[in-house]
Amino acid sequence: MAGQSTRNRAGSKRDFPVIIGLVLTSLILLNLPESAQRSLAHSVRQMALSPFIEVNGMITRAEARARDFDVLRAQMDSSMALIARQRTLAEENRQLRGVLSLRQRMPSRFVAVTVVRAGTSGSESVFQIDAGEDLGIQPFNAVVTEGGLLGQVQVVFPGYALAYDWSHRDFRVSAMTVDGQEHGIVEVARGAFRAQDRLVLRGASFLSDLPDGVELLTSGRGGAFPRGIRIGHVSGVAETSAGWSKSYYVVPSVYPGEATHAVVDLGMDRNLIAAGADTPAAAPLDRRP
Amino acid sequence: MRVVGLTAGLILMHLVLHVALGLGREAPDLFVVALLLASRSMNVRSAAALGMLLGLLEDAYSMTSFGSNVLAMTVLGMAGAKSRDLFVGDSKSFLATFFLLGAWLRIAIVWAVTESAVRPDLDQRLLVESVLMALYAASCGILLRLLFLRGGRAS
Repeated sequence: MAGQSTRNRAGSKRDFPVIIGLVLTSLILLNLPESAQRSLAHSVRQMALSPFIEVNGMITRAEARARDFDVLRAQMDSSMALIARQRTLAEENRQLRGVLSLRQRMPSRFVAVTVVRAGTSGSESVFQIDAGEDLGIQPFNAVVTEGGLLGQVQVVFPGYALAYDWSHRDFRVSAMTVDGQEHGIVEVARGAFRAQDRLVLRGASFLSDLPDGVELLTSGRGGAFPRGIRIGHVSGVAETSAGWSKSYYVVPSVYPGEATHAVVDLGMDRNLIAAGADTPAAAPLDRRP
Repeated sequence: MRVVGLTAGLILMHLVLHVALGLGREAPDLFVVALLLASRSMNVRSAAALGMLLGLLEDAYSMTSFGSNVLAMTVLGMAGAKSRDLFVGDSKSFLATFFLLGAWLRIAIVWAVTESAVRPDLDQRLLVESVLMALYAASCGILLRLLFLRGGRAS
């Protein structure tokens, strides 16, 4: 027993510097600058996790292909009906802009992407999209599904990008009602459990009285998100700051867990801007009455 | 040899369930189970190194608290290996406690070192969610230990 104890003590002495080194390395990793952490995480993803992420993407794409044909047909019919209704609107809009001497609105560019969630414990609210800087995706581009706003691109790499959805604590979007009468900032309101997370519209005017069901869109203020993307609808008053402002709960139009495909809004076409086409003449419409 | 095989299998299974299938919390945390199982058969250095490696894999998609899992798993690996000096034997009740405490400790360390602005509330995370997640992982650990490592520990 005495011999074993001596051996253990000798082993502990040998282990000590290595253990201290490993713990120190862990602490250094925890406190590295964000850019260094991102590079390291990118290397780990590429070296060890890329085959598993590839399988995840294949499963997502296969599920999408197997989706009920009737559902897809109905969605396409709805889209076609919407386009047919708005065909004359586009012409009217062009004529009115001509009368008011406003230039044409810049066309946005979109990239279709597959949404992949890693499912590891550190990846809550984070998802990967299978398109990166080679397709023109940049940090802070909006990620949108057919339902509305899903999230925002944060980090871009060749071939893929990481984004977070609206349930992330850092998510903020400037919002307005469809009629443009009320504006505010929409952010996440954490519930007691993650399943109870929802959005809240903060900073609406104190005298506002938004009934349940009023739709909220991105207002485009600040330039982070393009104007007019659906965020969700109002679902009751959250809190009132006496004499100053009101907050409303918002039911999101997109639930992050359900999103498998999305488009990334790349914003205005820079080639057209470089060609001197125009800049968006939306300022008069942005003004609150 | 059986422990090595089981550990490798659990790591692979964790990656398949969490990353390839994207199951998230519906699947148990098999990294913790693998680390705790392996650490009882490894020296402290190797267990800490294995923990660090698994923590790096777990943190690869973390955008707000990169490194928290690395630290937690490194400490857990060390603690698991050191537990051999303190507790001898592999009774079911000991293993259940070992897995439960280990899984909970990992979540507690991650919570403690995550920036306060982005971490969940203390009572919600540490008293409710973490206990359930630790129970889930501990049940899997016990089951796997009984199924694959019955009849004495192999090297």
